[in-house]
Amino acid sequence: MKKLLSVRGMASVLTAFAGVVILMIIFSIMNKNFMGRNNLMSLSRSICPYLLVGIGQGIVCITGNIDLSIGSVLGMSAMISATLICNGVNPIVAILIDLVACLAVGLVNGALVGKFKLPPFIGTLGTMTICRGLAELVNGNYNTGDIGTAPLATLIRDLFYYGKVGVIYYGVIITLLIWFCFNYLMNYTRTGRHIYAIGSNVDASRLSGVDVFKTTTVAYLISAFCSYVAGLVVMAAAGMGSMQAGLSYEMYGVAAAVIGGISTLGGSGLLVGVIAGAGVWAILQNGLTLANVPVAMRNIIIGLIVVGCVLLDIMRRSGIKLGGKKKPV
Amino acid sequence: MSEYAVEMEHITKIFPGVKALDDVQLRVKPGEVMALLGENGAGKSTLMKIMSGVYTRDAGEITIFGKKVAGDLNTKQAQEMGVAIIHQELNMCNHLSVAANMFLGREIVKNGRLDKAEMNKQAVEELAKLGIKDIDPDAAVGDLTVGRQQMVEIAKALLIKAKILIMDEPSSALSNAEITEMFRIVKELRSMGTAIVYISHRLQELHHIVDSVTIMRDGRYITEGKFTDFTMDQIIANMVGREITNQFPRDDANRGDVVLEVKNLNAGRMVKDVSFKAYAGEVLGFSGLVGAGRTETMRAIFGADRIDSGQIFLDGKEIVIKSPIDAIKNGIVLAPEDRKLEGLCTKLTIRDNIALPNLDLICGKSGHINKQIENEMIDKGQKSLTIKMASADVEAGSLSGGNQQKIVVAKWLARNSRVVILDEPTRGIDVSAKVEIYQIINKLKKAGICVIVVSSELPEVMGISDRILVMCNGRITGEVDAREATEAMIMTHATQFGDNAA
Repeated sequence: MKKLLSVRGMASVLTAFAGVVILMIIFSIMNKNFMGRNNLMSLSRSICPYLLVGIGQGIVCITGNIDLSIGSVLGMSAMISATLICNGVNPIVAILIDLVACLAVGLVNGALVGKFKLPPFIGTLGTMTICRGLAELVNGNYNTGDIGTAPLATLIRDLFYYGKVGVIYYGVIITLLIWFCFNYLMNYTRTGRHIYAIGSNVDASRLSGVDVFKTTTVAYLISAFCSYVAGLVVMAAAGMGSMQAGLSYEMYGVAAAVIGGISTLGGSGLLVGVIAGAGVWAILQNGLTLANVPVAMRNIIIGLIVVGCVLLDIMRRSGIKLGGKKKPV
Repeated sequence: MSEYAVEMEHITKIFPGVKALDDVQLRVKPGEVMALLGENGAGKSTLMKIMSGVYTRDAGEITIFGKKVAGDLNTKQAQEMGVAIIHQELNMCNHLSVAANMFLGREIVKNGRLDKAEMNKQAVEELAKLGIKDIDPDAAVGDLTVGRQQMVEIAKALLIKAKILIMDEPSSALSNAEITEMFRIVKELRSMGTAIVYISHRLQELHHIVDSVTIMRDGRYITEGKFTDFTMDQIIANMVGREITNQFPRDDANRGDVVLEVKNLNAGRMVKDVSFKAYAGEVLGFSGLVGAGRTETMRAIFGADRIDSGQIFLDGKEIVIKSPIDAIKNGIVLAPEDRKLEGLCTKLTIRDNIALPNLDLICGKSGHINKQIENEMIDKGQKSLTIKMASADVEAGSLSGGNQQKIVVAKWLARNSRVVILDEPTRGIDVSAKVEIYQIINKLKKAGICVIVVSSELPEVMGISDRILVMCNGRITGEVDAREATEAMIMTHATQFGDNAA
């Protein structure tokens, strides 16, 4: 435990996981079905899109930027794949074309913010609006029909949402694999170090030979990739493409990242926290639904809890600073 | 009524750990231009901040127009007593109009509305008193030249009935024509009976306007008198005056071949036609006043700022440097001036900071961080630089200034660099840490590395360099052998502004 706590940022992560445990206890008291096998399985599956966008937004936040285009790229991803499949394109080819389109958005974001120095809030606000437009445009301003039950289409539905081994859904496995890769990238590779470094001090990093443009672009590419996969999950679940898919998901990503201890100011945070952050978000949705709380009340409660969580974390952190100012070694 | 507009006596100001002012005195008469002279860090600005109420004095007396100031003087009181200051960096709201800036905080309001016509009228009148007739009160201040902005600021000071005007380096950002105009206005003010404290490093320009001088050094009052009673050499001798003790451990090493050669380098406004050679096993010092273009020159060589023209040669071969990445690949590294802003990722650990520029060595092709190589590198850095730290995994920002500086240096020593540039390597660190930094510099020199040190402290640059280049106004104005250098020689080069060079 002591060793675990010595890792910088781990305290916030543990706080978030404690939050997950507390919420689970509260909801299991409120409703017996909450801890049932079926509900837990469904919960594990519903965490996936939140976790995916949380990873993407979290990494962009660590560079000190923000990606507002996440939700729109998610919608675009769902619409492009579904439209192509409905029009008879081989589903595997369809999702590959979709991948290229989504990564292109990541590249544009990287160029706008990293090369042309647009404020990330404005640059990605632009791509957010454009991508939502593209999502609406792909199928002529209509949602797509059902993607059908051809073997490959079924494979995609199973792979991203319905299929499972034992009690574990494939979608959960895929999401965790993606998390695992990016967690490795952030903690054990040069690229990861550069991502933390530019978020901590972009000038010092540049003077240390870090390619700021490239690093920023990598972060936005990762974010676009995560949105892409999340879009496939949402599309597989619905069996169709919806133009509204992914609305507000960029903010869910911020919530998952921040609850998990990632600072929106950049330079700090651990990707493991995003699992807890996405967990808190999904558990609140799931638990409040089970408890028959009306949608409007649910939103208000979630909003309050999220603000409360982050406020607590900030108070805890600044409290440490106030209590004893760190002495120079 | 006293004959002096302002008298300051026995002024002492202590900042944590530093006695910034020690028993300083200063006197100015109405209708007199007094030059306040001293090196960087002599305490001129601190003294002026006390006069204008920004800082409070720890001891001493201030008398303004015969009235003793009881207790602390704050900025508002100082203004009411007629003290105004024109800062080196002008404090104007660029987007607002000339009149709006002049009346900022004391706008004229009629029936709940701004009376713009009245403010414009008064602004024009005030400017006219200074003989300025062609500034439109509705023009945005940001659209005016710096010289014009300064005039607006002076007019603003008159508007609040300033009787004592402090001008901090007013000529530093002006063109020659603008300086002539500014002198005219200063003379105008003098004839109106305003007392003027004029701070400038351009000693050559003083004879145009100055009546008397007060000289400070190391936070102490040195002398005062009529300007015409001093020769320029006497002024410089009084400014630098301190004895040069041999507190700098200089090791002699054999100078090797030319490693770095810079030819006709131009970059931005601050680097003009800079050419020099630097040798292996040599410490090349860069001296000059703050704002002489030394930092900008180094940043251009390192690729941090864009180069407009010029060539850089390494071992006789021309190299192209477009970014720090190019410079590092060629073995040219820079430890920047401002540790917190440019040198360190303070939120990251010591480990991360030392490893950051060396991840290519630590990772190899795969991109995977090899912990073993990383740990060895950090151990080596810690031992060779004696960095005091609890562990390599604490935040770099939590270290003391000296140790932070060592981290900034340490991160570059893990590589086989050819040219190590240190910009103000000892700024703000204590004496023992300074000596340790000097020892590191010597070690590098002995290893045959070309070390370039930019320093504003004359004793330091003279103590550790083998050769000193002096810059002024973006140009190299002199070269001195450190063994024969005197502070007066360097100061003479450092104040050679092209227009009226001695």
